[in-house]
Amino acid sequence: MVLNKRATAVLFAGLLSVTSQALLAAESVNFVSWGGSTQDAQKQAWADPFSKASGITVVQDGPTDYGKLKAMVESGNVQWDVVDVEADFALRAAAEGLLEPLDFKVIDRDKIDPRFVSDHGVGSFFFSFVLGYNEGKLGANKPQDWSALFDTKTFPGKRALYKWPSPGVLELALLADGVAADKLYPLDLDRAFKKLDTIKKDIVWWGGGAQSQQLLASGEASMGQFWNGRIHALQEDGAPVGVSWKQNLVMADILVIPKGSKNKDAAMKFLANASSAKGQADFSNLTAYAPVNVDSVQRLDSTLAPNLPTAYAKDQITLDFAYWAKNGPAIATRWNEWLVK
Amino acid sequence: MTQSPSLAQRWRGASNLVPALLFLGLFFLAPLIGLLLRGVLEPVPGLGNYEQLFANSAYARVLLNTFSVAGLVTLFSLLLGFPLAWAITLVPRGWGRWILNIVLLSMWTSLLARTYSWLVLLQASGVINKALMAMGIIDQPLEMVHNLTGVVIGMSYIMIPFIVLPLQATMQAIDPMILQAGSICGASPWTNFFRLFLPLCRPGLFSGGLMVFVMSLGYYVTPALLGGAQNMMLPEFIIQQVQSFLNWGLASAGAALLIVITLVLFYFYLKLQPESPVGASNAR
Repeated sequence: MVLNKRATAVLFAGLLSVTSQALLAAESVNFVSWGGSTQDAQKQAWADPFSKASGITVVQDGPTDYGKLKAMVESGNVQWDVVDVEADFALRAAAEGLLEPLDFKVIDRDKIDPRFVSDHGVGSFFFSFVLGYNEGKLGANKPQDWSALFDTKTFPGKRALYKWPSPGVLELALLADGVAADKLYPLDLDRAFKKLDTIKKDIVWWGGGAQSQQLLASGEASMGQFWNGRIHALQEDGAPVGVSWKQNLVMADILVIPKGSKNKDAAMKFLANASSAKGQADFSNLTAYAPVNVDSVQRLDSTLAPNLPTAYAKDQITLDFAYWAKNGPAIATRWNEWLVK
Repeated sequence: MTQSPSLAQRWRGASNLVPALLFLGLFFLAPLIGLLLRGVLEPVPGLGNYEQLFANSAYARVLLNTFSVAGLVTLFSLLLGFPLAWAITLVPRGWGRWILNIVLLSMWTSLLARTYSWLVLLQASGVINKALMAMGIIDQPLEMVHNLTGVVIGMSYIMIPFIVLPLQATMQAIDPMILQAGSICGASPWTNFFRLFLPLCRPGLFSGGLMVFVMSLGYYVTPALLGGAQNMMLPEFIIQQVQSFLNWGLASAGAALLIVITLVLFYFYLKLQPESPVGASNAR
């Protein structure tokens, strides 16, 4: 009898620890982003304060891999709860049924810039493709807008452009060719590729931020299309790099929750925190990327604010993510054909 | 001529293979078949993906790029790896081990770091161009990166160990007395090299070359960093389809194409080089 009681007690203690562990485990979120300084900033601005306030652990994972995301959702074994993805992908994935719809009772949709929120995703941050140039290479000759990229006489040297068939390169070619900003879409692919043909041999392609910085700072490329945060970082380091914000092209990262996420509720809370005025402002102050929350602007660091896309809204063109989400694969086919020709 | 063993003799002890075959079947063949099936099942059942692949001349170009890069890399790694393996075999034992360690050490260093170092060396404002320009040999920087040259240099460097290791093992096993016997019988050094040494090295050359060629076909990081976009190879195309566009059907068709062409080449290789690339047996 005594033994029996003891056994029951042990069993109970065991059960208790198992369930409490399960409870603890439920209160965690796997956050996936692109690594590097961006994810460090996301951890510092969002994850750490969030864990402290809510008791929900945030596990950092990465890098973002769309193929993996799809495989997880298809197999039903979803390890990721919140994923930082590109804006056009967020819409494409939503259309393919890979994402959970967001709960806007938890997340405050009204405060988010409508360009960067949809039923299945809320902005992580936004940034601009800007015209960056190496002052050492170009001297007193300062390029003004995208048409400078196609003027190899006035501005000699290689052009660094983003290598993936994604929003940006085709738009800037059309703008340089004289297409009005409000007439960009649907994209005139023939015209864009014809324009790009004129500088094809002068293009060096970059696939990631570090590579783009290396190309510009070393002078390997004299100018090109860059993420504004990367140019800012180069300038902070004292590199002789100039920037023109004319016709800056807005692109965004979006936070999404994969369908079948095991910690959906905690993930919603995480998104609410990340997209809050404070979370967005803190992240921007760390990275020079721009906040998607309209209330964050006043919280920005006063020395940093003039270097953010929010300060150049006047001459800004927002890339059409929805257009790309729908036509991306077809454009990629044309893109590949043009590249290897 | 050795008599070929009877069928029963050849298959004796085959039951010992069962665990290995099960393992391969479960963890290699099954996923591979699953992957290849996607090519005919997604997005709709049929041969649509293959149609798309063959209808577009751009993809033929991508295939051509892939095989010419792999071929060039194999050629250059053989040309550079052969003397290196020979040197390792010939120098006194302790030294040979040192050189071999250096070769191995380069293999253990991060691939990304090694690729970026080539970028630093080869780019227009890089060490090599600056040195050549300072010496007055050239006035304009040579374009050695973001094109085919860059890819071939970077990949050959990475592949050399895979030539040196099997080749060095083969050379080590060659009895020096055979070469001596050759010269005693009156062969000139050239004849000795081409008629004796080179044929004896053949298994090492072939297996190293095959390994490098096949590995090069699937290489991704180095071409992506050192190549220009116009040198797109099939792996980069597959990654683009898998990761950016979730078009797994087309990606799978591309992968299948790569596998089939590799198998065909492997068949011709076996025709040319009857010995198996892994063992010395003459089973075909």
